Amino acid sequence: MNDYLIVASIIFCIGALGGIVRKNLIVIFMSLELMFNAANLGFVAVSNRLNLISGDIFVIFVIVVAAAEAAIALGIAIAFYREKGTVDIDKANELKN
Amino acid sequence: MEALFYVFSFIAIFSALMVVTMRNPLTSALYLVLCFFALAGFYVILDMQFLAAMQILVYAGAIMVLVVLVIMLLNISRIKNIRSDLHQKIIGGLISLILFAEIVLYVINGAQKKPTGIFTHTLIKKIGNTQIVGEFLFTEYMLPFEIASILLFVAIIGAYLFAKKKY
Repeated sequence: MNDYLIVASIIFCIGALGGIVRKNLIVIFMSLELMFNAANLGFVAVSNRLNLISGDIFVIFVIVVAAAEAAIALGIAIAFYREKGTVDIDKANELKN
Repeated sequence: MEALFYVFSFIAIFSALMVVTMRNPLTSALYLVLCFFALAGFYVILDMQFLAAMQILVYAGAIMVLVVLVIMLLNISRIKNIRSDLHQKIIGGLISLILFAEIVLYVINGAQKKPTGIFTHTLIKKIGNTQIVGEFLFTEYMLPFEIASILLFVAIIGAYLFAKKKY
């Protein structure tokens, strides 16, 4: 089980890296999906180790929430692109200036 | 099983790195699909064939098609060369390394619990994991299941409102 958790943590940290480093809104969204999937892998590995089924049920709900989040996030991306002509998140600075 | 685990973990980690480092968002999206397939392979190893099918249908099928469609709607030559600063890369690398060290320390030092449930490998093989998941979804997890349907409905309305031309 430890091996699966290590792999999941590596994928999670790569996703976190992408979320911090990149400036493209679409790529940040994809890094978020990577983090979701790493968490799912952890759930399935632990619930397989403990002979439970609740972790697997929880993964289904995480997939539902990720689908809803994908629809909203891409809608925001389209609205942002229509407003600014780019998806660079540094251009979203109205609250700062 | 061991060899398959290493193959899938190599594919998953490699494609996750590629998602983060590629300049073109379309390349990242295709590598993300590869990563989802590797994770579906993990689920098959872990006796959850139903979740593997869900992963490929919903993630690689629906969500990634949505992402690729949105990249198509945006002008790809304009969003391809968005560069990040050097200090951003250094800070991001440091933060994710610290996070990784914390998680690994926690995993290694954690106590190994004994298996408490009844769903062993042989029982799941005997009943079939789709039937087990379906029974649990419609009995014990009925309320979350219904709330999930309301959430999806709200997401449809929200996506429509955001992508509409005039507010």
